[in-house]
Amino acid sequence: MNPTPYDLVIIGSGPAGATVGRFAAEAGLSVLLVDKKQELGAPIQCSGAVSRHALEDVGLALDEEYILEPIYGFAIYDQVGNATKIDYRKLKADEYGDGPDRKPLGYVVDRRRFDRYCMTQAERAGVETWLKTEGLGYTPKADGRCDVHLRRFNEEITVNCKVLVGADGLMSQVGKWAGLQTHIKITELAGCLQFIVDKVETEGLLEIITGHEWAPGGYAWVFPKGHGYAEIGLGVIPTMTDKPARWHLDKFIKQSFFKERFKDSRILEIQGGGVPLAAPLRTQYADNLVLVGDAARHVNPITGGGIHTALSGGKIAAEFLIDHFASPNATDCSAAMMKGYQDNWLEELGDKMWKLYHTKTKVFHQEDIPTRDAYLYQTMSDYFDPNSEYKKV
Amino acid sequence: MSKPQPVLFQIGWNACINCGACVAICPQEAGFISPFDTIAVDRPCDIACLLCESICPVDTITHVLSQQSGSSEF
Repeated sequence: MNPTPYDLVIIGSGPAGATVGRFAAEAGLSVLLVDKKQELGAPIQCSGAVSRHALEDVGLALDEEYILEPIYGFAIYDQVGNATKIDYRKLKADEYGDGPDRKPLGYVVDRRRFDRYCMTQAERAGVETWLKTEGLGYTPKADGRCDVHLRRFNEEITVNCKVLVGADGLMSQVGKWAGLQTHIKITELAGCLQFIVDKVETEGLLEIITGHEWAPGGYAWVFPKGHGYAEIGLGVIPTMTDKPARWHLDKFIKQSFFKERFKDSRILEIQGGGVPLAAPLRTQYADNLVLVGDAARHVNPITGGGIHTALSGGKIAAEFLIDHFASPNATDCSAAMMKGYQDNWLEELGDKMWKLYHTKTKVFHQEDIPTRDAYLYQTMSDYFDPNSEYKKV
Repeated sequence: MSKPQPVLFQIGWNACINCGACVAICPQEAGFISPFDTIAVDRPCDIACLLCESICPVDTITHVLSQQSGSSEF
């Protein structure tokens, strides 16, 4: 009836959850990692861009199993098509490129394969993994541990553990179970849509198109997607438009300065998602509970990028828990103790994310559209500048 | 402002891309979700903020006024 107790139960096997699991298991903790899906990463809700160092920092091999295409820089466009190009193949030719001893700046990954790869590495490190298993709730117990209630292939199972890790993404329910303030403001959640397309040329750069005309409250993008494909997408803030993202994407493809470039494009796949351009959660822990990744809103509020922050945050959470279970306070997993995770996270990553949030907020508080457009273009260009203080986020 | 009337959401499944944005923006308590990872469609929503309708990238969420006044069988 009741299976073996674990040190950790992790709900959600995305990059964040699988990274917590992998590091924890490598350190000898017993870990159960569950995901309600039958196929990780699907349906894809992400463009898949991630920097190389984000992968290397958490010890993930740069494996062709999940890499779709290497990236060497950025191109930031204003709304009429003027561009700031930041191509590391030109800026630092001895370091970046596709030749021998040269490396890419980052990659566009296939999230189905990437998420599975992350789970595989966790599983090989000793994590027990259950698919088709959803979380129903959790109950902190008097002995300092907690029960996690799961449903696996329609069977209800209760598993006992020391700490539950909520890694259940933007739709996170785990934080709500603990009564945490997880609500995202409508002004800070971008409704995003992207098409994987054939017959659109790319040149190894992440292209970011700013301007209220194309993506009110967000930006549009054209990313290389491997095998000669590209992805064209955008995110919009609902309070800044009365049209859905799909309408804006159609307009961007047919009417923007890229309309000639896009005219033969053929849609191969349709993907969408919500991307929080918000601050991290103020409280990312509770009794016997920590939140990681999108569930903790560990998303870069300027770019909407969340893979790097999920991986890094996952590692920080695992390291905190490993240390905690080895400390004299090991049996105390109350909120007061779990706060240590958030403190570590703020120091390593979070304070920077808060700063980015304030930068982003200043842009979108500009009421005048041309002023805001110019400000966003400048902010994006500065952010991706090689001398930016933020290149690590 | 008058109290909003409870609504029952309807999803045009043909257009739904399972992106989860509606659940992400939903201020309801945990579990107001359909088996297809959208906001719940089998019980009334008494908040009726309609944020899910405005975030939907493919504009496929609508609602009707709920007959019952917020009570549900669940």
